[in-house]
Amino acid sequence: MASLEEKIEETRRLGLQVVKETEEDRLMTLSVGPQHPGSGHFRFTVKVDGDYIVYCDPDPGYVHRGEEKMCEYRNIIQNIPHLERPVIHDSTNVTYSYSLAVEELMGIEVPRRGQFIRAIASELNRQVYTLYWLAIYGIFLGHSTMFMWPAGDRELFIDLLERLTGARVTHAFNIPGGVRNDMPEGFKQKCLEHINYYEKRLKEYEDIFYNNPLFRQRTEGVAPLSKEDAIKLGVTGSVLRASGVPYDIRKVEPYDVYNEIDFKVQYMKTGDSFARSYVPFLDMKESCHIVRRLLDKMPESGEVRTKLQPNPKGPPGESYKRVESGRGALGYHIVSDGTPKPYRVKISVGSFRNMLALPFLLVGQKLADMPAVYWSLNYWPVEADR
Amino acid sequence: MNTASGFIKAIESGSKHLIIKRFTFRYPEQKLKFVGDGYQFDPKRGVGIAGYRGRHILFHDKCTGCSLCSIACEGIAEAIGMVKVDENWKQNKKSIMPQIDYGKCVFCGLCVDACPFYALFMTDDYELSSFTKEHLIYTPQQLEVKPKYQGDVEIIIDDRGATHG
Repeated sequence: MASLEEKIEETRRLGLQVVKETEEDRLMTLSVGPQHPGSGHFRFTVKVDGDYIVYCDPDPGYVHRGEEKMCEYRNIIQNIPHLERPVIHDSTNVTYSYSLAVEELMGIEVPRRGQFIRAIASELNRQVYTLYWLAIYGIFLGHSTMFMWPAGDRELFIDLLERLTGARVTHAFNIPGGVRNDMPEGFKQKCLEHINYYEKRLKEYEDIFYNNPLFRQRTEGVAPLSKEDAIKLGVTGSVLRASGVPYDIRKVEPYDVYNEIDFKVQYMKTGDSFARSYVPFLDMKESCHIVRRLLDKMPESGEVRTKLQPNPKGPPGESYKRVESGRGALGYHIVSDGTPKPYRVKISVGSFRNMLALPFLLVGQKLADMPAVYWSLNYWPVEADR
Repeated sequence: MNTASGFIKAIESGSKHLIIKRFTFRYPEQKLKFVGDGYQFDPKRGVGIAGYRGRHILFHDKCTGCSLCSIACEGIAEAIGMVKVDENWKQNKKSIMPQIDYGKCVFCGLCVDACPFYALFMTDDYELSSFTKEHLIYTPQQLEVKPKYQGDVEIIIDDRGATHG
């Protein structure tokens, strides 16, 4: 093979004009997505200079469903099934936040046992979501065992939630005023049994995935996000905690019974892809302890739900409440004009805020590191588009 | 961590699973067991009874044709329609009962919460697939039938791991 200089010399000798390539010509624009080559229903264009990404332009909106507008045409209870559709894997946390906002608006008190049950359901659902995310993260780094194991172990928690709520994925369990049904017989034993087994499995996850030198080499030091940048960009959840900010809504703005539960906020200081993928794992571990403590402190019997009027309507006003979901802060801002249907519902999701960090993180990285950065953001396209 | 020991540990933890019984189960030869007889609701206490939310069951002797289930479904899936039935019940003067389209139903169970007469509950039956859309529409007569669903496996955890058995 002749070198470039030799080729140019050859061209000159033949009497042809040599066109020097400009900076723009060297760059190649690639479109990633939206047909799921590891991006979900989300598209972004990257410009690459050889192997390195020099520019990234996210283009969300492919799965916009108009959830916020739909809320204005349904009453408060009818809103529950469609609101959990954007993130069906984390459906309990979505309706949790919505219920809290409606309760604040209407001034409803939730019975103590009801508060514990929905906190337990929320923690179990966090496991389901994080395991699903971990499975995808594993497969896009080429680790197919890490796809199979979490996808299988998810079944442990789906089974528990199925006993508790009656549905495997879309639970529609939280309702303004509490939860829809009491715990079935023997749920506590079953829950502890599954969690004890699951904690043993988490040790195996660490051996095969997180402490695996192959995984570490692909993620350590990739796309670090500093503490200051993380705060400036407004990222939330595990991405923020990975950059060294111990910020968790369960600790900062405790809702329901979380102020009685003693737990640690899990965070790391490096802020690279490894930290962003390891913090959700630490959260899963901590979540197991939280479920145990919740089960210990839960009252043995009592009401679980405050009965509402058939077509509940609140006084005119507004409320905002947020919870810590699998992807960070998830808030609902509800404005009511005194009718059964909300006047306006605004959903503030963690996914969208984490996505904003993507253009900053991808620049300067190799194209092959793109999945390691993209999935570490804990981003769920359907939730971001709403 | 040392690179070599990291690899050895990863391979060790993976190869352990060659001798452990697998977690998956053989559907449809085996089927999952559920707790209870499906989701029910107690309107007096205003609280549901835990159970799987599958196909509905309609008790003709209790349904009054009030169409509250249909109203509850209006903004959700619009799967419930009220139809005329050739039955004479004392409590059901209009002789109308719900008909459910399972092509639309999302199994949220809010229609069960809306029923004040213990007439509409849910069952364990989730195997509702059919070749045509018309077969997914269940008439009040079809909804009256108790499902034959029988699950036999559930998750069993012992020292050697978790299996469906």
